[in-house]
Formats: sequence, C-alpha cells, structure tokens
Amino acid sequence: MGATAAAPATTQAVRTGPSLTRVTVVLGGGAVLLLAAMVVAVAIGSVGVGVGDTAAILGHRLLGLPLARSVAPGAESIIFDVRLPRVLTAMLVGGGLGLAGTVFQALLRNPMADPYIIGTAAGASLGAIAGLMAPILLPALAIGLGSSWLGLGLVQVLAFAGGLGTVLLVYAVSRANGRVPVVTLLLTGYAVSSVLAAGVALLMFFSGQHLGAIFGWLMGSLAAAKWTNLAFAAPLLVISTALLIVRWRGLNLLLLGDGPAANLGLDVEREKLVLTMLATLATSTVVAISGTIGFVGLVVPHVLRLAIGPDHRLLLPASVLFGAALLAVADLGARVAGGIPVGIVTALIGAPFFIWLLRRSRLVRPVITQ
Amino acid sequence: MAPRLRPSAILLFLLALLLAACRPAADGSPTLSVEPSVSSAPSAPAHSVYPLTLTDDAGRQVTISAAPTRIVSLAPSNTEIACALGACDDLVGVTDFDDYPAQVAAVTDVVIGAVVDVEKVVAAAPELILAAGNGLTPTSVIDQLTGLGYPVLALYPHDLAGVYDDISLVGEAIDAQGAAGQLVTSLQARADAVVTAVAGAERPRTFYEVGVFEGSIYTAGRDSFLASLILLAGAEAITGDPASTAIQLEDLIAADPQLILLGDAAYDPTITPASVTARPGWGDMTAVKDGRIVVVLDDVVITRPGPRIVDGLEALAKAIHPELFP
Amino acid sequence: MSAALRANVLTAVEGVGFAYPMPDGRRREVLRSVDLTLARGDLVALVGTNGSGKTTLLRLLTGVLRPDAGVVRFEGRPVAAWRRLDLARRVAVLPQQLDLPVGFRVAELVGMGRAPHARRLFASTEADERAVARALADADALELADRFAEELSGGERQRLLVAMALAQEPDLLLLDEPTLHLDLAHQVALLAAIRRLRDQRGLTVLAVLHDLNLAAAFAPRVAILDDGRIVADGPPAEVLTPDLVRRVFGVQVDEARTADGRRHLALREV
Repeated sequence: MGATAAAPATTQAVRTGPSLTRVTVVLGGGAVLLLAAMVVAVAIGSVGVGVGDTAAILGHRLLGLPLARSVAPGAESIIFDVRLPRVLTAMLVGGGLGLAGTVFQALLRNPMADPYIIGTAAGASLGAIAGLMAPILLPALAIGLGSSWLGLGLVQVLAFAGGLGTVLLVYAVSRANGRVPVVTLLLTGYAVSSVLAAGVALLMFFSGQHLGAIFGWLMGSLAAAKWTNLAFAAPLLVISTALLIVRWRGLNLLLLGDGPAANLGLDVEREKLVLTMLATLATSTVVAISGTIGFVGLVVPHVLRLAIGPDHRLLLPASVLFGAALLAVADLGARVAGGIPVGIVTALIGAPFFIWLLRRSRLVRPVITQ
Repeated sequence: MAPRLRPSAILLFLLALLLAACRPAADGSPTLSVEPSVSSAPSAPAHSVYPLTLTDDAGRQVTISAAPTRIVSLAPSNTEIACALGACDDLVGVTDFDDYPAQVAAVTDVVIGAVVDVEKVVAAAPELILAAGNGLTPTSVIDQLTGLGYPVLALYPHDLAGVYDDISLVGEAIDAQGAAGQLVTSLQARADAVVTAVAGAERPRTFYEVGVFEGSIYTAGRDSFLASLILLAGAEAITGDPASTAIQLEDLIAADPQLILLGDAAYDPTITPASVTARPGWGDMTAVKDGRIVVVLDDVVITRPGPRIVDGLEALAKAIHPELFP
Repeated sequence: MSAALRANVLTAVEGVGFAYPMPDGRRREVLRSVDLTLARGDLVALVGTNGSGKTTLLRLLTGVLRPDAGVVRFEGRPVAAWRRLDLARRVAVLPQQLDLPVGFRVAELVGMGRAPHARRLFASTEADERAVARALADADALELADRFAEELSGGERQRLLVAMALAQEPDLLLLDEPTLHLDLAHQVALLAAIRRLRDQRGLTVLAVLHDLNLAAAFAPRVAILDDGRIVADGPPAEVLTPDLVRRVFGVQVDEARTADGRRHLALREV
C-alpha cells in the first residue's frame, strides 16, 4: 500500500459505481424487454399463427413436450424453421452491433463512430459482392458453389474475411513508432473505406441483374437467416461479448486519454489493439450473416448513455441487451412492412431519432476538454 | 444466331397439321431436345413415374416424391406454363404481378413487390415450387425453400428452345407430358411458320427499344433471348451490353438502325414515333429519316418466357415485316 | 552515497538524455544529461523555461518514455523493469490538463484512480471505496462527490484531479504545473494541501512550477532545469539567486525581504 494509505479508516465509503438496484433495474429491465421482443417477434408475421399454437410449437420443439393441439398446416415450419432463426439472428446481430458501437465510440473518442467506421463495412461489402458475382465472373467457381464452409456460403465467408482483413490493414497502416494514434486510425479507416467503396460501386455497375441482390445485402437483411448461420455466429459473438464486457475499466480509462490511462497502469497500445480486434470480430461476424445494417451501432450507445450514464461497467452489457431488443423489433417492422430490408427500417427510425438527439444538444459526447 | 432453314421444318409443319393431337414419344430423358424427332409413329404420351428426379435450369437435382397437386409459382411465366398444361386449378400461390390467365387473380399472392414471402409459401403447403432462375428469384430464397424440404424447380430459358424445354420439364414434373408435348409441338409449328415466312425477306437492322431513361438507352443485350427472337423474326438485331443491356447513343447512331421498334410504348403513351424523331441526335438514323418507327404493344408477351412467347415472336415478325403478316 | 541514504532513495534519474523524433526523421534533443535524486519524503519544486523538458522528465519518471541515455530508477530498479501496473500503484501524476468525459460523477472519476489496485472483475472493494473517500477528503473535495464533472469550476476541477491522483495511494506524486488554471487563493490552498499530505503521510512530491516565488515558499528544495541539464539543486535561497535567474530565465530580478523576513524575488522594471 502507498504512503497515503496510512490514515485510520474513519472516513465513510463513497460509492464509485452503480448501485446494485440500478444494475438490476437496467440489466433486468433489458433482459425482460428482450424476452418480450422475442416473444412478440416470433408470434407475429405475415401468416397469422395463434398464440396458443405458437406456444405449443415452441414447447414441442424446444422442450420436447408432445404436440397436443392440432396446429394449422405449415405453422410448425413457419414458427420454428422460418421465424425463430430469424428472430434469434436479429437479437444476435443487434446485440453485437450495439456492443461494437459502444466500444468504438469510446476507443476512438468520437461520438459519430459506428462499428463500421474503420473499414469493416467497406471490406465486407467488397467481399460479399465478389462472392455474389463470382459465379458469373468465374464460372469455374460455380462448381463448388453448392458446398459450404462451416455451414456458410461463399458470400458469408468472403464478407467475414473482407471485414477482418480490412481492419487489420488499416491498423497496420496507422501504426507509427509502435503507437496507433486514434485520429490516425479514424482517418486511415475513412480513406481505406473510400477506396473499397469505389471498388464496390464499380462492381455494382457491372452487376447487371444481380444489382437487386447486391443492394439488398448492402442495406442489410435478415431474410436469409438460418440455423447454420446461427451456429457459426453465436459462439463467436458470445466469446467476443464476454471478452469485451470484462474490459469495461480499460474503456473508462481510455476516455481520459492515452497518457492518463497509461499512468493508471493501462497498457494503452495493447488494449487498443485487443479492443479493436474483438469489436471487429463481432462486427464482421454479424455483417457476414446479415449485411451492413446501419444505425443500430450508432444510436444505441448514445441513447443508453443519456439514460444510464457513460460508465462502461453498465453500458456494455446494456448495449447488448437493448441493441438485441431493438433489432428484433425493427425486423418485425420490416417483415410487416412487406419484407423490406431491415436496414431501411433502422435508417428510417434511426436518422430522425438521431436528429432529435442532436437538437436536444444534450448529446453525450464521450469527451469534453477543459 | 442464324434462323433455322431446315427442310424438316416444312415437313414438321405438315405433320403438325395432320397429327395435332399426337406427338412422337419422348425419349425418356429429362431434357428434351429442341429438334422435333421426325418419327411417323404416333404413340400414347408417357406418364411420369414417382419418385422422380429432374435437373432444373440451374443444374440442381430436384426430387419430386409424388404427382404435385399444389403448385406455387414465383414468376408470371411459370404461372402461364402451369396453366397452359392444365394445372391452373392446382396453383395455390402466385405472384402479385401475374395477370394471365384471368383466373390466377383469385389465387393467393406469395410474392409481393418482387419479394418472396416465405411464410406465405409455407402456409400454402406446396408440393412443387416453380422459381425463376438466374437470380430473379434470389438464390438465398431458393436455398431456404429447399432447406425447408420443398422441391424447387428453377426455370430460366435463354432462347425459344429453352422455353420448350421448360414446358416439357414442368410437364414431366406434374405428370402432364401429353399436354406438354402438344403445346411444344404447336408452339414449334407456329415458330417455324414465322421463320419460314420471313425466310427470303430483307432483314433490316432493327433496334428494339426497351427503355430510355436519363440518357441511358436499354435494348436487347447481345446474345440475349430478345435478340434471338428478333433474329427469328427476320431482322438483324442491334444489341447492347450483355450485362447491363445498355447501349451508348453514339454506338446506336453508328449502327444506324433501319427500323425502330418501341417496346416501351406499351407502358408509356408519351413514347411515339414523333417523340422519338424529336430526340437530339436520333435524326440521322435511317429509321427516323424513313419514318420506320413502329409502336409495339405486345412487349409483355415478347419478354415473358412462357407459352405466349410465340405470340410475341409473331408480334415481332408482324412489326418487322407487316407486308408478310397482314 | 551511503547505504542508508541509498535505501532511502525513492527515485533516481542518472545521466538521462532524451530526444523526440521529428516527422522529418531528425530528433529534437530535450534532455542532455539529467541527474536528480528524490529520497522518501522529499518535496522538490522543478522550475525551468518553457520547453526545457520538465514535462518530458515527468514522463520519464513514470515510464511512459524510455530514456535514450542513462537510466531512471524507482526503488533501485530501472523503471523499464517494473510492470506497468505495479508502477501505477506507486507513482501518480497530476497532469496539466485532463479530458474529463461527460456524464461521470466526481466519485466515479476518482474511482478510476483505483484502477491500478482493482481486484474484482466488476465490483469495487470496500477498500477501494474507502480509499476514494480518503482521497476526496484529502483533496478537500468530499462535497463534490455527487456532482457531475462538467459542472465544476476551475478550482473544483483541480481538486478533482488531485483526488484522482491521491486515489492511487501513491508513494510518489508528480505534479505538472498544477497551479496553471487557478487563482491565487486556490494555488496557495492546493500547495498547502500537498505539503500537508507529505508531512502527514510521508508522500514524496515533485512539482513542476512556473512561479518562482511560489516554488520557494512551497518547497524546501528547488531544482532548475536548463538546456537539458539540472543546473542547480538545493534550498531555494541558494538556488534562486538573481544571477542564476538572469542566466536561465533571461530576466533581471532583485532579492527582497518581506515584512516577516522571508526572501522574495522582485522583478525589475518591466
């Protein structure tokens, strides 16, 4: 113990974090909201399935209960093979985006940061479109198209690799003297994204009748959700979420700046690398299975910061829960609106909401300077 | 692609007239050849034996376990094929774009605004799904439906022969090979009649206008289905980029069409020969100077690769050679 | 240095040189050969002109920078050999300025100072919370605990920074121009508090100050950094002579005596 610890312990303790009540209310409330969103999203769709039938089917398939009621033809398939994987995917993707957005906003000390900002979207898009167009550009590849890697198709694999690879490139280019200044990272990410986006535009120009499929992917959609994609994404997201949530102290310290964080014992460069890679892993995973869904990663952290404060101890797990609930509901809206890509719904909700936040001018920027 | 000028075409024409109800037996393989077999022995049409494995236009092996009585169609051309084969009453799901025959309007729409509603497809409990190939029905949707256990045939004909093959394929899938055979025979006969009729005529350089938007001109792509039809109808087709179907104005001027067919006039009444003449840069084209600009109102059948495609061929031939088809 | 003396040394800078790499590839030499020793309980004021390397020296003491020549030791071991976290438990810095994130309460920010001592994954220990309370009390900032950082005045913000540094429970406290944004009353209060802590708890303090008179009043020992070297190190009366001041700072001052006999450096005609 240090020199200043010699005083007698007569002073009362001062609370330095959220109280247990607060934690319970926020995280418990988030979990309840998520569960409710999941139930509602599974129960509603373009084909009406009664609540009783829905519950019976879920009980039968998930808990092994016998299917006592006679359900409508196709209802079991609709609930379990079509809706449930889609809702679970929405939750996974929303949670991952919310978490990654929170991490990047703190790491980059930039309130406009979203999970895609340092190149993940541009790289994944280029990979996905290359995968979409490969069968026509390189017919030899079509032979292997029926096969899959870990249950994923060519598009998902290339999207995942593109996202991760681009961030690695951006990180390497931003490094100088063993340091990666945050501003350099941001600017390099922007520059690399612009170049890759030009490549995407070029491919789109030559895409012919695939343009619709490409556009749908870029807007982000959960229509192609299936259990095999979930089997790939879920472990990766669970791992990256767990590893990120426990790093809340480092994120809080990084808000103070590299120097003060280092003085408080943080290995700043290592922490920045680990955080970037974990958040990028989560982002690339969700982009691979759902395309580039926007606004969730940008808006969820800001709203939560306004509601519960910027302490990452609570903010990180909350962003997972509320991001998941938000996207489950948004996807329900997308389905009800005629099967439009969910990215359009999040943009329609997110953009006006964001403008409203700005006008309130209480937007919680991560940092102010003295 | 050169028009077919086979002597057997004339023979077939005569045979078809005499043997309207019968057709030489199918050779048993899933993909039927385009050339009509010149067999003189009529026999009873074959019956499909289930379970049946077919190869669709995407090269997938599709297994149908029993004769389908509930069919979902994901494209208007597929709906028309099913109805032409007598299975109209078996349709339990169609697209909101389907308009022929009139009775399909009463069938549930499972494709709305070009988006396939998988839940509605599942609710319709189909025993066979007819999808559109080449990405028109998204591959992910086809994968999803296949994964749910439904037999999905993806149809995508590149030319007239492909349409006949698709009709035969569907006929085999739904055990309507007799109807399919008859339909193909009569279509082939009519098509060959067109080809024969235009055989010696002058073949004008023809530009088929699909659309003109904001400076981009869209026409038949090189080696496309539409280009092949124009050729069959007795003209030389001016074509655009195979992928985007666009053609630059200067390329069009250099190609100097002798005949302009306004396919988009079917959807936009403001497109008339006068409006085309007024376009800047178009005035030097032979077609414009000679006044050979023809409004074509049958674009739907010209571009829908279903049983009425030969109606489209006939409409094209009439527009190109009005004197041969009074 | 005798063994007893050596054992009492907390941190020692031995012949340290440092140059900053410039964008064009050259290096800007800031420190040439610096020798400075701090024993436990020392209270030293470091003065020098702008750009003389005072902040650089502080960063070398915390290990953020590595010296190009010489070695910086803490408790006898080179700083480079210390684990970052272990050093952070012993050495705290009060920076010139700090980006304060919006939305945190004062208590939470001071709680961040406990990061080097953190043991549990999510919760803070009771020891942490008591340390925070003590730090706030020492910094005279207890009543600020539930206020939001962005609402504080300049003086209050300074007390927050002091509390954050004290929360680390350091042996060595480094102050980088702590009086920059403060009015006179607050300057005096802050330095008095620091000196009290050193007297009561045995804290070792090195403070970079720009006001020579304040430095003389505050610290029993003053070191002058000039041209990359320590040119004087000792009691203020011996170090802060008009001659040396003129040489180092280029300003003419006269020695004067206050009413109660204290030494004061007075500026000649401006």
